[in-house]
Amino acid sequence: MVTYVVRRLIAAAFILLGASFLVYNLTAISGDPLEEFRASSAPNAAQLMQARSELLDLGTPAPIRYFKWLGGAAQCLVPFAARCDLGKSISGQPITEALGIALVQTLTLVTAATVLAILMGIALGIVTALRQYSALDYGVTFMAFLFFSLPIFWVAVLLKEYGAIGFNNFLREPEIPWYVAAGIGAVVGLAASMAVGGEPKRRAIIGGGGFAFVTALLILASVTRWFRYPGLGLAVILLAGVGLAFAVAVLVAGLNNRRALYSGLAAVAVGLVAYFPVQGLLNLATPLMILILGILTVLVGIGVGWAFGGYDRGQNMRVGGIMAFLVGGMIVLDRFLQAWPAYFDNGKIRGRPIATIGAQTPNLEGDFWIRGIDSFTHLILPTVALILVSLASYTRFTRSSMLEVMNMDYIRTARAKGVSERAVVMRHAFRNALIPIATVVAFDIGALIGGAVITETVFGVRGMGFMFLDGIFHVDPNPVMGVFLCVAVTAMAFNLMADLAYSALDPRVRVK
Amino acid sequence: MRFGRISKAIGLAAAAALALSACATQGPGQGTSPTGQASAKQGGTVTIAEVNGFSSFNPGTADGNSDVNGHIGYATHSNFIYIDNKLNIVRNEKFGTYEKVSDDPLTVKYTVNEGVKWSDGTQVSAADLLLTWASGSAFYDDAKKDPNTGDIVSGTVYFTTAADTSGLNLTEFPELGADGRSLTIKYSKPFADWELAFGTPGNGGVDIPAHVVASKAGLSDTDALVDLLKGIKRGDPEAQFPANETLKKVAEVWNTAFDTKTLPADTSLFLSNGPFVVKDIVPEQSLTLVRNKDYTWGPVPHVDEVVVRVIGQAPAQVQALKNGEVDIIAPQASADTVEQIKAVPGATLLEGKQLSYDHLDLNFSGVFADKDVRTAFMLTVPRKDIVDKLQRKIDPEAAPLDSQLFVPDQAAYAQSVKDNGSSAYQDVDIDKAKQLLNGKEPEVRILYNKDNPNRVDSFSLIRESAAQAGFKVVDGGLGASDWSKALGNGTYDAAVFGWINSGVGVTGTPQIFKTGSGSNFNGFSDTEADKLMDELVLTTDKAKQDELQQKIDKRIWDSSYGLPLFQSLDIKAYSDKVDGVKQMANQTGAWWNIWEWSVK
Repeated sequence: MVTYVVRRLIAAAFILLGASFLVYNLTAISGDPLEEFRASSAPNAAQLMQARSELLDLGTPAPIRYFKWLGGAAQCLVPFAARCDLGKSISGQPITEALGIALVQTLTLVTAATVLAILMGIALGIVTALRQYSALDYGVTFMAFLFFSLPIFWVAVLLKEYGAIGFNNFLREPEIPWYVAAGIGAVVGLAASMAVGGEPKRRAIIGGGGFAFVTALLILASVTRWFRYPGLGLAVILLAGVGLAFAVAVLVAGLNNRRALYSGLAAVAVGLVAYFPVQGLLNLATPLMILILGILTVLVGIGVGWAFGGYDRGQNMRVGGIMAFLVGGMIVLDRFLQAWPAYFDNGKIRGRPIATIGAQTPNLEGDFWIRGIDSFTHLILPTVALILVSLASYTRFTRSSMLEVMNMDYIRTARAKGVSERAVVMRHAFRNALIPIATVVAFDIGALIGGAVITETVFGVRGMGFMFLDGIFHVDPNPVMGVFLCVAVTAMAFNLMADLAYSALDPRVRVK
Repeated sequence: MRFGRISKAIGLAAAAALALSACATQGPGQGTSPTGQASAKQGGTVTIAEVNGFSSFNPGTADGNSDVNGHIGYATHSNFIYIDNKLNIVRNEKFGTYEKVSDDPLTVKYTVNEGVKWSDGTQVSAADLLLTWASGSAFYDDAKKDPNTGDIVSGTVYFTTAADTSGLNLTEFPELGADGRSLTIKYSKPFADWELAFGTPGNGGVDIPAHVVASKAGLSDTDALVDLLKGIKRGDPEAQFPANETLKKVAEVWNTAFDTKTLPADTSLFLSNGPFVVKDIVPEQSLTLVRNKDYTWGPVPHVDEVVVRVIGQAPAQVQALKNGEVDIIAPQASADTVEQIKAVPGATLLEGKQLSYDHLDLNFSGVFADKDVRTAFMLTVPRKDIVDKLQRKIDPEAAPLDSQLFVPDQAAYAQSVKDNGSSAYQDVDIDKAKQLLNGKEPEVRILYNKDNPNRVDSFSLIRESAAQAGFKVVDGGLGASDWSKALGNGTYDAAVFGWINSGVGVTGTPQIFKTGSGSNFNGFSDTEADKLMDELVLTTDKAKQDELQQKIDKRIWDSSYGLPLFQSLDIKAYSDKVDGVKQMANQTGAWWNIWEWSVK
């Protein structure tokens, strides 16, 4: 194992050297960094050209310049020396500093999108695999490929036009006419009837129910001006909590384990009781406090599960913990919604909350909740855009992996000996289906650091992708190499981790 | 692992204490701030989009002179002059005065008014002017450069300024006034752009406080800096001295200490002596300017706060305008962008021209050595068609540019166009061209940038039209990174590319049109024009300059030099929340009248 890792690391170092040499020289010969001055009629063009040439050390041929750069970059390997020198960009900024800024911007943009895309993709993949060749399967496949094949710049611009500008216009007078509500209800109802499958009668009932529910909900929201003064309130948390408790219990423990269900419901009850006392504390929230409260909440949930006892405490505790987390999440969401009117009326927001550019409103002053909403309104659109385009690969990958596992002999054996369908899917099939997905996810995280170039451009985020493009555009190898180093190192590290994880997950694979 | 009961209790207590200590000190309900409220005329916030992120508080360095740095520099610094959108030099006598003490030798005395202060309370002094002079004059440089590559062979360049040093380099060490606020500079020969040579914002203006540079460079005080500058003799590449280490340190501070992407903790690094002060920077995202409370020495702005948002792409700028996130945008001009802006409710579109323009140059050698061939070729160039195809969709008023030296924003343009002979080339005249060619079928190779769609279109239209008169046009287009290196190397007969008119000042003229000068790529040489240009650079009177430039313009047209084609279009737009935004052709852009912006 250790020899394997060392061998891989040595190989990685050589790959890095070779690749960086190529990238450096290709960037350097890709154009003329002095172009803007050559055709200039400015009397001091020669002087500016000379300053630029000095800055980029153009007097030295590119291959030799590479080794100079390498000398500086090698100092990054000395731990704690803080002598890392990746050169300077064309505006005289040290690359190490620029990378720091760009990395933060990129990670802010893509982290939530990637996590959500993975979760949703895997969930959809499993559902479609279980309902292979159903209307739902075809529907999800169609949508996944549709979004996958849409050009992201187009999706992003449309999202900005309707999701931000259109929605903000709507918020000025948030009234939904009955026919629009009915239309949205019809779409949801249709989707629901497709998703449930089974007898036509059952579909009709579910579809009709969905239609009626959504339409009524939208009209209610319109009448109560919910979009201006939103909130969940105890009733919604109670209803949703009970529903979720059943769902979580079904997935984690099965309804036969009554104690698991009861621990879930009890966790909801604890959450409801804590709702009012905790509001005063939440008014003073900081990120650290929310984190600590979150951990405490989950611990309380686990404790509730433990208290219910029974033959399988582990299941109770899991259900209790998950439910405590979900109810806690709803209470936090409710608190965010309470802060919405203050955010909406803030002078910096000017009544147009959903943003089309950047990651925050400049000079916005406010507490944790206001800032939280501000991050949300800025990140929602790029996140949606990124999820839409990356959903397809996760969905399809999980689906095929799941289908393959479901056809295995051991699944048939498990069914034959009477294991419940829930246990077959969640315990025997799902875990094994995750193995190949681990590889895809690891690769994606490597690529993620490289930045979502187009999304970044459209949403005005100056992340890694922008830095790379800008470097290429100005024929300036230093920023390009900075981005390249980050991406290459992460990609290789995650590649190695994926291989190691593979052997850990799958006993048949041994690393040598 | 097992814990005892006590350790569990302690753990729980610790967690609870941590949870409580994590409470924010501020109470709820502080989320709103009243500053953004729209008021009648005074106060309020204006948000403007910029294409690039801010990177330096010294826009005068070669590395730092990007558009956005210049704009921030303009908003945070005052000067003896500013340039208005008719491209006139406007004096700001509230900041200080300058007067021509004598014409021969040209001597100018600059005096800063009393009470003009940096934002730390220090009076703007003669030392600040002296530092500006030192950085913008290349007085101390003694570097010898390789004539082919431009690289430094030996010697030292101290200040890496982006300014044109040719003017101030003609001066001797300035004389400092006894009041500590005045400075007199004496030119060894008259210099036409003397009003610009000293003190245009972002181009060698009074941007950098001497007292800060002195302390950062380890000098005891401003006087020590003045003494240092006084004590060093003019640099001479032929008689090099070892570099003065103290001056090198001073120059290093000037060159790099003000470069930053974030707001420095040290406030002395971003002192303002203009209408606004920088309050906050979010790297690559936004920058906030607030009113400089002390500022009275110049036009006083209406708004309290200006926020700069960084938005690279034109469509993103338009959508941000539509969504109310920015109030003023200046995206790159294209037909799509114009259409999108017109669709934004309440937005006002400002259409104008930039100072950059495309032109066709004919080499005075090869097939074009014969003037008749040049004239014939010029007669075939369909300038109106080119403008129709490239610009009419964006700007219905677009028309070809008819002067080599002026742009329509300048008052002297109309008169010059009337006299310079451009009227002969308004329309394509194939018959006359054929007549001039007299049956010859010359082969013409045209150089242009293949990666620029506008240039490709211009080339295609020219080729099509010239072929009718019998020219055999060869496509000499090169890629984006190669075409500019080919300029002046004799491998082509004509070139289509762009130049930037300086807007104010005349020293750009000989740079392009004088025999053998740096940007004279086509070998144009006219003794009469050379003589006029020699006179021009020594003429300090604006009216006289215009007159000379008009004569030179005519000489150029009479020599069948080539043709100016069109100016690049410039668009700006602003929302119905703000007022007072005006068109501006030069690089200061919408910022030029920042004091006239107001919130409705």
